[in-house]
Amino acid sequence: MKKSIRIAWLYPDLMSTYGDRGNVIVLERRSSWRGVRADIVPVTLETPVSVLESCGLIFMGGAQDRQQKLAGEDFLKRKGPVVKKMVESNIPALFVCAAYQFVGRYYKPYQGDTIPGAGIFDLTTEHPGDQAKRLIGNVRAEIVNPHVLAGTVIVGFENHGGRTHLGPKMKPLAKVISGNGNNGDDGWEGVIYKNAIGSYFHGPLLPKNPAIADWLLEKALGTLALLNDTLEQKANESVR
Amino acid sequence: MLRDNEGMGLFDRLVVILTKLVSFTSTLLGLGAGETWPGEVALMLRPNIATALSERLSDGVILVAGTNGKTTTSLMVKTILEHIGDSVVHNATGANLINGVVSSFIRNADWLGRVRADVGIFEIDENSLPVILRYMTPKRVILLNLFRDQLDRYGEVDVIVEKWIRALSALPKETVFILNSDDPAVAFIGTSVKGKAVYYGLNDAGKYLSVREHATDSTFCPSCGRRLTYRGVYYSHIGVWKCTGCSFTRPDPTVNRWPSTLPGLYNQYNTLAAVALAKSLGIPESAIKKSLQSFAPAFGRQEEIESAGKTVKLFLSKNPAGFNASLRTVLDMGAKELLFVLNDRIPDGRDVSWIWDVDFETVPPSATVLVSGDRAYDMALRLKYASPAGREPQVFTDLSLAFMHARERNTHEPLYVLATYSAMLEARKILKGRKIL
Repeated sequence: MKKSIRIAWLYPDLMSTYGDRGNVIVLERRSSWRGVRADIVPVTLETPVSVLESCGLIFMGGAQDRQQKLAGEDFLKRKGPVVKKMVESNIPALFVCAAYQFVGRYYKPYQGDTIPGAGIFDLTTEHPGDQAKRLIGNVRAEIVNPHVLAGTVIVGFENHGGRTHLGPKMKPLAKVISGNGNNGDDGWEGVIYKNAIGSYFHGPLLPKNPAIADWLLEKALGTLALLNDTLEQKANESVR
Repeated sequence: MLRDNEGMGLFDRLVVILTKLVSFTSTLLGLGAGETWPGEVALMLRPNIATALSERLSDGVILVAGTNGKTTTSLMVKTILEHIGDSVVHNATGANLINGVVSSFIRNADWLGRVRADVGIFEIDENSLPVILRYMTPKRVILLNLFRDQLDRYGEVDVIVEKWIRALSALPKETVFILNSDDPAVAFIGTSVKGKAVYYGLNDAGKYLSVREHATDSTFCPSCGRRLTYRGVYYSHIGVWKCTGCSFTRPDPTVNRWPSTLPGLYNQYNTLAAVALAKSLGIPESAIKKSLQSFAPAFGRQEEIESAGKTVKLFLSKNPAGFNASLRTVLDMGAKELLFVLNDRIPDGRDVSWIWDVDFETVPPSATVLVSGDRAYDMALRLKYASPAGREPQVFTDLSLAFMHARERNTHEPLYVLATYSAMLEARKILKGRKIL
């Protein structure tokens, strides 16, 4: 097991709504409780890509429209290609909410031009029009991929207008039990590709789903000691 | 004294009398008078009744909007105006949609359906501000602040700013705006209105935060979108700011000093807003001072309740900025016993993700921490991860048991309760109700 890890937090000042910070806090604490030193490395507009390349795990969260635009320009041009290379070389990564849409191939709003994505995942998102309802609320889902976690129930809160569909080489993360997930139609939630996960569970995905946190950390660090997750499990079960 | 109500149509008055009668009967039957439904019924019978009613106010309407501080600020304004002899109609806490406003008129009216007040002070929900403006043209608008709050219900801060600007820029030049200079988004609204803008804010470098809190919304220029720099931050994104890109800078606040009778920096701001409003009406400082001397906090806003020998202090804390402000205040007050109550009902917001934006890391390890509420385990988890050692707080799924436990500790320390909206209602019911612990 490695004794330290650098965790890149992409655009913490621009892409951080809905308590996204919870994911970073959980990764940091679950490392330190096992004697692993975790450094949170903020990667924003001015940060050189070499800093990003020095990291062993990546997190990127949600954003408001205006901030997403600012981050978007930088991500498409500079950070995105680097993140793609890192994901391809099996660096673990987590993309939630707006970031999940953003690492796909494109986002098609109901009016205006299609917004290109970073193309890290083969998935596309379309907004079905302003008459379509926004998908908002608690979600429970059962993990299907990766197989080691299959059957684990994950919970979260979704709040999205866009409907996401996965390309042929992409595997869904979980099967929806209640709520909507990727698009409200095919019953899937999230995506997994190599060691990278995308999900519509916005904000603090990891606190109530420590199995995903540990899976990401193990991909970066090697096998980890077990922690007592009784409280995490109770919080998970309290989401209905 | 009864006012002349001839300008109000007979039908309008009949609607007021009718809804008043139903509300009165319902109170007699112990069903409660209702803070919103009498207005809802009146609006159904007479969609434009809000306009007719507001036009009966000789001194017009004052609207108070913003994420945090609406109730306290509007109560302060009411206190000042009543002190100088005005008769005020004011909506009840939380009844801050159009139906709540109309209900307050019905409650205020006499049995002939006539409005008795000279001035209306209404706290207005963020989303309802554009709606209310369709019915009435206020003389004064106080805008306090904009923080992240219940994103599932209100949407993003930027979207609210846009909606507000569209609605407020249509008001005539006679409407005076009382604006917080230290909130960039609120100050930005001042650049697009026709009427005069009066700014209030703090000029006190001694109160700058040494370390920036996390829950910041507006660190980017509302005008050009580039990054803002701060000479100092008072809390969240409230401070002395300027844009690094364009020429947009914090306006110089003309009202920037006033002794606050309530603890907490956010109450300092609420006080400044109320004082700025009073000054804009030409009320002398001596009268303002006198009226605010004995100002009592509003429901669940630093309310103190003695319950079976235990002092309980209640702090309504419903979003990250409000929660951080409450937390800072109670820790400054030396809190040693804390109870956090988190609900996820409609008035609280169904999404509890925001607790991860609150800086619970500031709670000292020596403090006794209890948690409760519908989402008690989410709150417990947040506190576990705030503690480097992973220390877990005590969880009480039943709120009354949490109070019982606190009382049985027998420490003579006050219990500081930070709770979301519906949780606060429940806490008060337990503490004040007949079922005493």
